[in-house]
Amino acid sequence: MSDSLEVVSRKTTGTRESRRMRREGLVPAILYGHGEKCIELATKREALEAVVRHGGRIVELKGAVKTSALLRDLQWDTFGVQPIHVDFLRVSASDHIKVRVPLELKGECPGQRAGGVVSMLMHEIEIDCTPDVVPEKILVQVGKLELGGVIKMHHLDLPKGAKLRAGSDETVVTCTHPSHKAEEGGPQAGTVEPEVIGRKAAEEGEAETGG
Amino acid sequence: MALMPKRVKHRKSQRGRIRGDASRGNRVVFGDFGLQAEQPGWLAAATIEAGRVAAQQYLRTEGRLFVRVFPHKSITSIPLETRMGKGKGEPEFWAAVIKPGTVLYEIGGVSEDAARLCLARLAHKMPVRVRFVKRRPM
Repeated sequence: MSDSLEVVSRKTTGTRESRRMRREGLVPAILYGHGEKCIELATKREALEAVVRHGGRIVELKGAVKTSALLRDLQWDTFGVQPIHVDFLRVSASDHIKVRVPLELKGECPGQRAGGVVSMLMHEIEIDCTPDVVPEKILVQVGKLELGGVIKMHHLDLPKGAKLRAGSDETVVTCTHPSHKAEEGGPQAGTVEPEVIGRKAAEEGEAETGG
Repeated sequence: MALMPKRVKHRKSQRGRIRGDASRGNRVVFGDFGLQAEQPGWLAAATIEAGRVAAQQYLRTEGRLFVRVFPHKSITSIPLETRMGKGKGEPEFWAAVIKPGTVLYEIGGVSEDAARLCLARLAHKMPVRVRFVKRRPM
């Protein structure tokens, strides 16, 4: 189910206007796609944050424009606290869109009970699907992951009609023996000072000219 | 032995000024939770190592710790009771330049409560004010 988001049209653009807008609790947005004209919009920050928290990717825009859109890109401030800009891509039910979906581990891993460490090598995957089947997240079942085992992309349960965009042989989750290298002494003791690039060559050159 | 570069172009560097906020390395990428700097500063190699050891002792074999900063900058000092002049001092230690927003450490494979406890221990060792952050949804 898609969330709805109230948007207003904005006439002004630029850094100063955008900052003014953000101070008023709005987030500048843009709507594009389907070869139509780009429309500058703004939406309430709280409403946008609620949609993002909920994990929704497809939103029904209301107000200044009425259309379904994909939440294509979201820019955050330096500290990752407030969204500062959002990109909407127009989508229709028949479109095939590429979308990044987060992965979440589900179940208790037997390998972890045996002393292994579960590592997620991939936190999100890119899939190709229609807007009506875009999932909020994809669950990775680790209930049968033994020590030394791996879960690859082709093991994932994708929604019906969705296709992976990357190679299906890439590893998503591993369960390995914990590495003791770090505990034994961290970074290895090396030289007291780093090698200075070019110094040795210059010194050798001087010696040759001198001799 | 603390972290330091293997090869450098110059042994000594100017002090520089830390201006602005971090526009890179400011989000949790490898783990699920992280420790983000709120102030600018230098993070000495020994401090990075102290943080790593503190976190590793808490985590033991559980989860994974990622150190997101590396000391690229050499910091020089002149000995005590030395007369002025006679050139720049000798490299004393190596430090990472931290801008506000930089994620210093990340933890993955543990619960949020455990990560909070672990990173709180680590935070005490940091010379800058830090905060706990989570992976962002988008």
